[in-house]
Amino acid sequence: MRFVGGYERMLDTSSVNYDVIFRRYDIETETKEKPEAIAEKMLGSVSDARLKKVAEDVVFMNYKGVEADVRAALEKTKPEDVIEKGLVKGMDVVGELYGRGIYYLPHVMVAAQAMDKGIKTAEAKMKGEREARGTVVMHVAEGDPHDIGKNIAAVLLRSNGYAVFDLGRDVNVEDVVKVVEEKKPDMVTGTALMTTTMSAFPKIADRLIEKGIEVPFVCAGGAVNRSYVESYPLGVYADKANQGPVLAAKAVEGWDYKKIRTKWDDLVGAHGAK
Amino acid sequence: MAIKRFTKMEYKNADELVFGEAKYPVTYGLGQKAGAGHVIPEINFAPRPGAERNPETLRREYVDYITKDILDRAITLGFPAVQLENEHIFQMVNDPQKFEKPVVAGQKELMEKYHDEYGIALSIRHTIADPRLCEKGMRPKMDKVHNYPEKVIESAEVACENGADVLSIESMGGKEVSDYAIMNGDIKAWLFGIGYLGSIDMEWLWPQLVDICKKNKVIAGGDTNCAGANTSMFMAGGYLDRDVARTFAAVTRCIASARTLIAYEAGATGPDKDCGYEGPILKAISGKPSAQEGKGAQCAHADLMGNLMAHTCDLWSNESVEYHPEFGGSSVQCWLGVIGYEAALMTTAKQTGQDKVLRDLYVAADRYKSPEGFCICHDNAYEIGKVIVENGDDIYLRSKAAGMKAAELIDAANKKGQMRLNKMEKDTLNKIIVDLKSLPDDTDKFVDWALKTYKDIPMFNPKNYGL
Repeated sequence: MRFVGGYERMLDTSSVNYDVIFRRYDIETETKEKPEAIAEKMLGSVSDARLKKVAEDVVFMNYKGVEADVRAALEKTKPEDVIEKGLVKGMDVVGELYGRGIYYLPHVMVAAQAMDKGIKTAEAKMKGEREARGTVVMHVAEGDPHDIGKNIAAVLLRSNGYAVFDLGRDVNVEDVVKVVEEKKPDMVTGTALMTTTMSAFPKIADRLIEKGIEVPFVCAGGAVNRSYVESYPLGVYADKANQGPVLAAKAVEGWDYKKIRTKWDDLVGAHGAK
Repeated sequence: MAIKRFTKMEYKNADELVFGEAKYPVTYGLGQKAGAGHVIPEINFAPRPGAERNPETLRREYVDYITKDILDRAITLGFPAVQLENEHIFQMVNDPQKFEKPVVAGQKELMEKYHDEYGIALSIRHTIADPRLCEKGMRPKMDKVHNYPEKVIESAEVACENGADVLSIESMGGKEVSDYAIMNGDIKAWLFGIGYLGSIDMEWLWPQLVDICKKNKVIAGGDTNCAGANTSMFMAGGYLDRDVARTFAAVTRCIASARTLIAYEAGATGPDKDCGYEGPILKAISGKPSAQEGKGAQCAHADLMGNLMAHTCDLWSNESVEYHPEFGGSSVQCWLGVIGYEAALMTTAKQTGQDKVLRDLYVAADRYKSPEGFCICHDNAYEIGKVIVENGDDIYLRSKAAGMKAAELIDAANKKGQMRLNKMEKDTLNKIIVDLKSLPDDTDKFVDWALKTYKDIPMFNPKNYGL
């Protein structure tokens, strides 16, 4: 047997049965369902053809065409409904496809961009601002430049209708506290990759408590773990970006951090959102 | 120091590549020799949260606890050689005199004591932090808020002046674009972010680091595209993960190798950084000793190439572990045991002339487990290295060639039925091939196109790269 490098392999591995060495569980369990079929099933209740087209623009990432289709829908439907019954429905399908492993992260990102473009087009026809589901202040801990997780979570929160104040990365404790005081969000998030940057989280929690602000503070990132996050007040752990909207929904419902912690396993743990 | 490009391979063929020996071994530290006939365990660690409270608590954590634990266990288990790696935390680069200096000096002082008492070969790699923020400015005088670019250089000086044996960094150039590329599955953006911009940043940074090392008689180790290719690899993950296609991660790794090579082109001698999974490609091109990690780094992350990554290493690492107690001692002691025994096995294989058999077993176990592992098997790493040096004088063309070769190798193995791919991996691979083929062979044309196409990526500022 020869490698492409053109030399004789010392060890003959031609007899290796790879089935007893590793298994491609991802291939073995790969669904045969097509995104089109799932979308059709989930959007079956959308009777208005123009709204359905708007929803499909999001599902199939039609960034170029979504603006025109939203305009067409606005001719018969009020902007709030174009958003809720078209764009948001489409994003619900994207969430389902992502949850089932049919769509990957880039699909979600591009679909979210299409949705965002559609929302802006619809909002331009609204008298006031669209009411957000809730408000979230996000940041990456001081000294930490790693922000991809926060950025993904921000996209997912926005596409689920939340207003996001993104403070960026390497944000010091007092700046986070100041913005939380100003914006009075339903939820605060912090991410960190390193053990010695995540120690900013309890400091933020303490400062918020001092100021009488009791808001769920969702903490996540490479070195962050549940037991650490639950060692300080306000802390709620998350280990995946797509758990953000689930936790935000509960924060908006009025759940405090203690209740979210108690129900964490059901919400996002073994029995909750993946 | 000027950049000297690699335009030919230092090894005649892939079969010469094996663990425990490098064409250009390096001698340093307290009796340490890397790439000279044996494999050295390299133990890495992270302090507990709160250890950074003040300079003394940090020094105590690193020196009195972590370093002492490691050295005690190394003697207990009879390891003849150990390298420590200290990946600096933010506080050490933000205030090098207060936080970094006592740690660097304290670790070395203790190591000298053990070396003198037991004769154990010891060395320490200091991997300085790179907190530069592209939105504030990546070059000196640009970041008026934090002065991070200046602090990176100061941190390198403090490390080299106070006890480092090897200097490394996980530099961040191009990350704002590579993060966008990962999130959007855009290989052309990756090529621009890491292959081009990342390379430019390396060309700015590494000649300075090499000069500082030379001045202080410290080994300039090397870099890693941890900030980019490892983000891609971790998000591609294992068989339950569905964020990034593993074919995408594989190609990003190979493009990143053309960028990480620049540390060597600026005068670094190796051993390179353990978490640079592009290491086999770098070693194939340069002949310099390589630090790698795999199955002994499960404390830090899961991967699909745990055996394979050992096949060309000269140092075998645990990536990093937070300092905490385990049943068998502290975490650094337990993981030193894991990597130290594996290193002993590899060295035994060398002593008995069975090293290439063991190498091939490492490779065979994981060769078809993931596209990324497949690309960095020594035969494929060598093929990718060849197209890099054939285009060695142009940072864009060689990066593109590395990406295309990786994609072609995976595609060919898939068509032969050897490398199985799931639907998303296959679709993504096809798109990568189309995308890379669509790009011009003229670097200026590519850069003009990329600057226009990616101008709105958040925080991307061409001035950070002198553009």
